[in-house]
Amino acid sequence: MPENSIEVKSLTKRFGGFTAVDGVSFEVGRGAIFGFLGANGAGKSTTIRMLCGLLSPTSGSATVGGFDVGREPDKVKTVIGYMSQKFSLYEDLTVVENIRFFGGVYGLSKARLASRLPWVLDLAGLKGRERSQTRTLSVGWKQRLALGCAVLHEPEIVFLDEPTGGVDPASRRRFWELINELSERRVTVFVTTHYLDEAEYCNDIRLIHAGRIVAGGSPRELKAEVIRNPILEVATARAVDALEALRGEPWVLGTSIFGTALHVSVADEGEGRRLVNERLAREGIVPDRVDRIVPSLEDVFIHKIEERAAPAADAEGAP
Amino acid sequence: MKALPLAFIGPVMRKEFRQIRRDARSLVFMIFIPAFLLVMFGFALNFDVKHIPLAVVDQDGSRTSRGLVDKFGTTEYFDIKAVLDRTGEIDGLMARERIRAALVIPPTFSEDLLAGRSPSVQFIIDGANAMSGTTAAGYAAAILQSYSQRVTLEALDRRGLGGAVRPFRADVRVWYNPELRSARFLLPGLMAFILMVILTTSTAFSIVREKERGTMEQINVSPLPPAALIIGKLVPYALISLASAHLVLALGWVLFGVAVKGSYLLLLLMMVLFLVSGLGQGILISSITRTQQVAFLISVLTTILPTFILSGFVFPVRNMPAVIQLVTYFVPARYFLVALRAIILKGVGLAAFWDQALFLAAFAVLTLALSVAMLRRGGRDRRTRRAR
Amino acid sequence: MKAILSILKKEFLHLRRDPRLFPVIFISPILQLVLLGYAANLDVKNIPSVICDMDRSAAGRALIDDFVNSGYFSIEARVERMDEIDRFLDHGDAVMAFVIPRGFGDRRAAGREASVMIIADGSESQSATIGVNYATMIAARAAQSIVLESFERVRGLGVRPVLVGSEVRVWYNPELKSRNFMVPGVLGLILMIMTTVLASLGVVRERETGTMEQLIVTPIRPYQLIVGKLLPFVVIGLVDATFVITVARGWFGVPIRGSVPLLYALCLAFMLNTLGIGLFISTISRTQQQAMLTSLFFIMPQILLSGFVFPIENMPKFFQVVTHVIPIRYFFIIIRGIMLKGAGWPELWDKTAALLVLGTVILTLSVARFQKKLD
Repeated sequence: MPENSIEVKSLTKRFGGFTAVDGVSFEVGRGAIFGFLGANGAGKSTTIRMLCGLLSPTSGSATVGGFDVGREPDKVKTVIGYMSQKFSLYEDLTVVENIRFFGGVYGLSKARLASRLPWVLDLAGLKGRERSQTRTLSVGWKQRLALGCAVLHEPEIVFLDEPTGGVDPASRRRFWELINELSERRVTVFVTTHYLDEAEYCNDIRLIHAGRIVAGGSPRELKAEVIRNPILEVATARAVDALEALRGEPWVLGTSIFGTALHVSVADEGEGRRLVNERLAREGIVPDRVDRIVPSLEDVFIHKIEERAAPAADAEGAP
Repeated sequence: MKALPLAFIGPVMRKEFRQIRRDARSLVFMIFIPAFLLVMFGFALNFDVKHIPLAVVDQDGSRTSRGLVDKFGTTEYFDIKAVLDRTGEIDGLMARERIRAALVIPPTFSEDLLAGRSPSVQFIIDGANAMSGTTAAGYAAAILQSYSQRVTLEALDRRGLGGAVRPFRADVRVWYNPELRSARFLLPGLMAFILMVILTTSTAFSIVREKERGTMEQINVSPLPPAALIIGKLVPYALISLASAHLVLALGWVLFGVAVKGSYLLLLLMMVLFLVSGLGQGILISSITRTQQVAFLISVLTTILPTFILSGFVFPVRNMPAVIQLVTYFVPARYFLVALRAIILKGVGLAAFWDQALFLAAFAVLTLALSVAMLRRGGRDRRTRRAR
Repeated sequence: MKAILSILKKEFLHLRRDPRLFPVIFISPILQLVLLGYAANLDVKNIPSVICDMDRSAAGRALIDDFVNSGYFSIEARVERMDEIDRFLDHGDAVMAFVIPRGFGDRRAAGREASVMIIADGSESQSATIGVNYATMIAARAAQSIVLESFERVRGLGVRPVLVGSEVRVWYNPELKSRNFMVPGVLGLILMIMTTVLASLGVVRERETGTMEQLIVTPIRPYQLIVGKLLPFVVIGLVDATFVITVARGWFGVPIRGSVPLLYALCLAFMLNTLGIGLFISTISRTQQQAMLTSLFFIMPQILLSGFVFPIENMPKFFQVVTHVIPIRYFFIIIRGIMLKGAGWPELWDKTAALLVLGTVILTLSVARFQKKLD
């Protein structure tokens, strides 16, 4: 078993004139929790589908579990599990019928299924609800059931496409506990998500935007390397007015609203704080707080995206 | 009882139009497929019973018997497909439907004829294919009769007594469809058949699709009255199918010479009534089913075969048993066909088919009213369930 | 193997769980059969007619009696003037009219040729054609008997008029009961419609709900998926066929003179085709609606071009050739053969071969299109 579960080299997918995935490359180590982050439409689902053998790449190559996805997609399917965005379960089948069905489709022997069935029920917390129709379950349960069905056959690699969509925070946390458990058993977990806070739970992440990877590394590495400039959090009730005021200032490297606060990227902490207070005072705004904060991944992400846009803006807006 | 706020109909109509437009294939289907099918069938089909495949067993083998066989061979009513030696071979060919009739000439045929006795030939018809059975026997009888007459007159001529007796002749006049070209007869029926199937199945999805996708719930909690929903869904389909029907009429005229003899306005009125009936049936099906699959199956099963067989398209309603005739009252195409034939082929006015128009209108109103009632009940159930 | 069984089990669960589907699949065929089996009445008798006797002579009345007594026409009215006929034909109250012009009797008596007018409403071209045929036949027979009469009167001509008669034998369906023709036809039509529609929806539904994605990511092979999905429809088709055959036999009294196992086997061969077409449709459709409309596009021509109602030999050559690839064309011959004619393998092997060849081609095409990919 190679050290890397997944190896991707310049993977590209074009649909007609539209390039969904553009020359993406990365590696995923065995047992890692790998996060693929990006906004909707950035190319996450397309990438995952290629890695599962559901779509054929336009160019580039990828190896999953030692098998090439372009040439041996069927072999790839024997070593992976997949959970789609829509948690594709059969609504009119009961919980246990769904599990048995996927067990049969994966070719599990009677004995093996007999042992895995209670495990999945336990994982999903559905003991006692075996005979409920899937239609009647709430989203959180469906999600865990779908995960259970995806790992029923104990694959080495599991692909989860936006698994926590529409799920309450408590269920989300539980779900990530399950993912950790899988990782502890040396199962490689490949997750796509647009919830940046979830990325904190991953070992290794890639940020994807408009089909290209814009940043990558462990969460800590990303935050440390990528953001060299301090970020000030400006808490004020008039966040929108403050944003308008600060946006145009030359010494402001970047601003964005975070809830009821502003994150302002400046060159120097002390100097920046002074300038902020000065500028806002001119608008009659007195912020409650101006503090330096440890950047979150969201900051990283926005920073990276604006960095991409900036060269173009400079080219256009150069006086 | 809420009033019918017209304001609600607008948005529903617009949304439905947009959805229809996006699904290009379905739009093409609704507009062009009826026209395409009409053209295809107009060229392919007719009611004529000609070219009946025939086998001949000539046990006599004389010049006389060959003369008789010739008569069968030269008429367009029969095509001689096999000349057999033994009657035993007939069964196999008939089972394979290579032939549907057989003529067996007895060995004493020419002998009897010469002696002035009246011989008899055997004519076997395939009763399993009853469509052409009786007609084939009729043709054979006619051919034999004219053959007999010719033989008699020839004998008279030989004696120099020709030209003796000519009793009378029959002048046949056919009104409305002079050459009895079944294309003219066929086209109204085809139109009604094709339109009915397409109409009902297209609208059968409209409501049930929303149920399956879950957007129906959204509608149920909104103040949108069920009647507005139905009318809003009905109108776009009605307009599209009206366009389609006109295309069909135009093609019928250009390609098959079927012109509208009567009043166009009357035709328009009947078309609208018919279209609304078909669409109404589809919407009713849509409002009582829960999955698209069942909606489609029901719409297919209640339109294709019933319209084909019970509307008067092929089999005259008049000849059906009374019970079945009652059932035909629920087939909108039946009324439309009478009116259509009257307007297109006979050019007569409303007086000739006002009762058909009334029935159609009643059918349309009934289906729509039932749909509204179904939707209202469904919506209410859901609201009370939620309140609990 | 296990995979196929899993899919089979799942499909049956789906069927059981949809309460409306069950009655539609199993009860409606019987309903349709009962309804339609009676509907066709192909012996056109009692054609409503109007008589206009403007002559009032004995000869004229004799001819009219011939028409009336034939049993083919039912006399709705007797009118005095020709323009009164309009009313009846316009309103569809009569299809035919017989007019004896003034002077008919005199001309007959003088031995001169007289004429009788037969009017038909061509807008009902079927009844009209048949009516005209009957009427001209009756007129010809009347003419014939007049010739015979005159021969009797003028003796010593040394010529005996000859009348070649025909003994008509009707095989397989001696009383020409139209239900014996309709019922096998309806069986074929129902089977075709049912299985094609169900198969066309089977795959598309999973694609629409997203469960197809989940399925094709597993190691399951395309053929296993297809077999698993189509096999339930084979069972449904056979059950439907059984119901229909039972009703045909028990209720309508339609005989089954051939081998029943052979009938079932050939139903299977036929379903190979219909399911193949359904599967093909489902591979070229993205939504259920598209699949349904497309299956209509395949079903309607098959009904009209199958030779059931419109004889194939009357179609233009081009269409005759086209009907060779319409599976139900062969199936109709097969059903009629087995049920009414007691036909067996020796008579039907070529039709069967046609069905098998067609079916294999269609299925192969469909399976080839059915990739385990999303694009």
